[in-house]
Amino acid sequence: MGNYADSLTYNYLGADAPPTREERIGACHAFCGSCSELAGGMKTGCAQLQNRKFSQSGGCQLNLAVGIVSSFTNAVMIIHSPLGCCSNFVGNTGLRKTMRASKGKPNEEFVWLHTNMDELDVVQGGIDKLRKAVLYAEREYHPDAIIIANGCVPGIIGDNIDSLVGELKDQITAKIVPVHCEGFKSKYVASGYDSAYHGVLKHLIDPLKKEISAIPGADEEKDIKDRYRISRTVNIFNVGSNSNGDEVELSRLLSAIGLIPKVLPLHASVDDLKHIGEAALNVSICATHDDYLLGHLKERFGTDYLIDTLPIGIRNTNQWIRKIAAYFHLEAEAEKLIAFENAELNKALDLYKPVLAGKKVFVGGGETRILTTAEFFYSLGMELVGVKAHNVDRFVDDMIDDMQAPELLIEVGAGQPAEELNLLRKLKPDLYIGHLNANGWVSKLGIPNFPLFGQSLNYMGYSGAFELARKAVKILKNTNFVRNVSANISLPLSKEWYNRDPKENIKEAVNF
Amino acid sequence: MAEFIERAKFTCALGGALTTIAGINRVIPIVHAAGGCAAALSGTYNLAAGYRGTGYCGGTMIPTTNISENNIVFGGEERLEEQIENSLEILDADLYIVITGCQVEIIGDDAVGVARRFKDRNVIGASTPGFLGNTFKGYDAVIKAIIKEVVTPAENKSLNTVNILGVVPGHDVFYRGNLDEIKRLLGLLGIRANTFFGTGESIADIRRYGEAALTIVFSNQAGIESAELFTELHDIPSIRTDLPIGPEATESFLYQIGEVLGIEKEYIEAVTEKEKRKYYSFLERIVDIYSDIDFQRYVIVAADSYYAYPLTRFLANDLGWIPFITAINDITDEGEQENYKKKFEGITSVTKPRVTFNQNAGELIKEVRGSWPFNHNQKYYDTFGPAFVVGSSIERGLAEKLGAGFLSVAFPVSNRVVLSKGYVGFQGGLTLLEDLITELVSAR
Repeated sequence: MGNYADSLTYNYLGADAPPTREERIGACHAFCGSCSELAGGMKTGCAQLQNRKFSQSGGCQLNLAVGIVSSFTNAVMIIHSPLGCCSNFVGNTGLRKTMRASKGKPNEEFVWLHTNMDELDVVQGGIDKLRKAVLYAEREYHPDAIIIANGCVPGIIGDNIDSLVGELKDQITAKIVPVHCEGFKSKYVASGYDSAYHGVLKHLIDPLKKEISAIPGADEEKDIKDRYRISRTVNIFNVGSNSNGDEVELSRLLSAIGLIPKVLPLHASVDDLKHIGEAALNVSICATHDDYLLGHLKERFGTDYLIDTLPIGIRNTNQWIRKIAAYFHLEAEAEKLIAFENAELNKALDLYKPVLAGKKVFVGGGETRILTTAEFFYSLGMELVGVKAHNVDRFVDDMIDDMQAPELLIEVGAGQPAEELNLLRKLKPDLYIGHLNANGWVSKLGIPNFPLFGQSLNYMGYSGAFELARKAVKILKNTNFVRNVSANISLPLSKEWYNRDPKENIKEAVNF
Repeated sequence: MAEFIERAKFTCALGGALTTIAGINRVIPIVHAAGGCAAALSGTYNLAAGYRGTGYCGGTMIPTTNISENNIVFGGEERLEEQIENSLEILDADLYIVITGCQVEIIGDDAVGVARRFKDRNVIGASTPGFLGNTFKGYDAVIKAIIKEVVTPAENKSLNTVNILGVVPGHDVFYRGNLDEIKRLLGLLGIRANTFFGTGESIADIRRYGEAALTIVFSNQAGIESAELFTELHDIPSIRTDLPIGPEATESFLYQIGEVLGIEKEYIEAVTEKEKRKYYSFLERIVDIYSDIDFQRYVIVAADSYYAYPLTRFLANDLGWIPFITAINDITDEGEQENYKKKFEGITSVTKPRVTFNQNAGELIKEVRGSWPFNHNQKYYDTFGPAFVVGSSIERGLAEKLGAGFLSVAFPVSNRVVLSKGYVGFQGGLTLLEDLITELVSAR
């Protein structure tokens, strides 16, 4: 799979904003059919040219972009837009508190500003208000970074945010980071990650200059130590769906084969980001999130990168470790670790396998996460009845082939619960595992479920695999909640819809 | 020109429209906008209104045209028509309301006009772009569309029926419990209350709202335009009043309504006496602990104008706490600010609160520090305390800095789960007391 990323280039920093993923890698966001049909459609390009007759609210790249940059330590967010864009911060401020606490970082009040664009600003432009907001943020909070994310309105009316950044950047101490993430620009909402990283790469990743020591020979000694440290350092790129438990587990595994793990960039400080180039290898744990960042870092710092599988379940965790170990010629160490860990884990899982054997499972969410999760539950003896991906791109080509399940049902769509519930009602899985915002609907349908990630849920690595199996068994121990809910709370879907094939909702259309 | 806002406690007009629609039984929004608006805006109130949830057709279930760059250039009306047609087949509702996002309004799509073509199939439309204003603008846009298109004009008015406006679902985190208590209170006087969002009310009921004799508006910011439209189209006069929290406010509320509708004073007196006796029979339980430990607190109230005065009035006049600052975040017009300030003249505590208007949440701490004498390390110093903050989840940080007790009541409320609870009326006063005093004893 690394091969696919190798075919891409990442030198886009000359532009204010990155290309959308539709332009950059092409992706399918509307599909319903079998895995083999999808794989064929992706190769011919047909799958990328589909859309919906009836659509429901999915995601917005603004929210994904802001999800990354708002996590930085001592940063103030400015949302340049009318009030609604990112108004959901009011419900999420507590998440920052618990997330930081779980990582042992001191509590920090999350501060954000809205430029609150109104009708007059639509006509006259909103740059003056944005200037005031930036100066207020600097004066009141002295942050390390002031991050400006813009919504659709300034994008359509043509507010020139970058020229404002140029004007202000030498007047204030904070780094100003523009993030261009207008929602209408991309149906492939993961484009938002590229928007965020574009801003970060352009304005925050500023390598520290070396200080020269006055003591003769001191530099040489320090250089040798630094070079050794860097030659063993692996940057693990975390994403919003990682818990601290995941980061601890993945760091443990890399430490066990003699490497120095460093977890970046979510919840990092501006200073941490300055050291981002000090690593021998950058490791993605999810291609959908960070190929843009890793590809760029390779071009700029020469740091090699690895974009492979997500370390979820046994097989994929093994593979993840082997690929990293191979880069450092630590194959023997890796095999020793894998043999030891697999033996212990398999013994522990033996208790759960009889409970899960033969039960039907359906997984929905981000493409790599669902495929690896599905593989794990399949390996425990469960029957995989279908998957639903937010979108599908070439990064998972190999993974779909590896599944060796050409007939497996796959639906592609961010959100789109009507299609998904239609399928679930027909497939009747015993267990559903799904992305945020999907599980409530599934409960109303009466299907036991649990979330695809969670702040306190260790999901990755070997300890994560055990937790996943344990959770599945726990959920099935008492399914009364969903039974009662489905018997008494109705869904808004018509009877006729359930009788139809959701495939009928997909049509050929331009993809921009 | 509106100013930028630090940590705004609002979403935009489209968000307001969504939370309003989600409050009405079996009504579905059809959003003409880019793909993310609906779910994200719905999410604001799902999480931050005491975990109100997506409801019947909120969150990702909301039908949306998902317009993209192509439509920005070529227009999106055709796409909207296709989306309405399919929504009517796939989704099951009593009413569908087409509402709009910023993008399609800037390019000039006539979404309300497209909706009109489906009028005979229970579709109406309202223009609700985010740049129109905050939550309240969206609330009024939706309610006005309903008053115009759904409510049937009635020649004969029912003299003991009133319409309730200004209670914005979700933005009033306790709206269901509050409306149910308002219904119960007015019911005690033989008045029937139409609330749009109350338990058991449906579109079939809303069609008959033209029969009401009076509209009661509980807000200075939301519902005013809707009330005017009720007057204009349905000849229903309106009055504005404050949300009645606790015995004192509820009693005067009932007299106020009784006077407008011509209900005998003796009758109202008999009703309130009975309710007050019940209230104090429960309140009696905390008299000992309140007095033995001294549960009187200095209090800072931070809320929008809907809750700010009603909460302060209850805390000062009924509970006997010392109102120190009441900070209001939603009134920007100076004339209206002066009018709102006048309400506080009736506060009966010896100390009156300092009333401030500021949209920037972070500035309240400066207000507090600036209005209490500084500690210059003198030997004897009157500290600000014991203190309590009644506000939104955003004021939790303020309470922590002050070492004060804390209860979130005004939007956003993300640290509590709210189901049937309400703070209005006699019953709501008791509930508020339970929650405040629980906070003071919860570490035991």
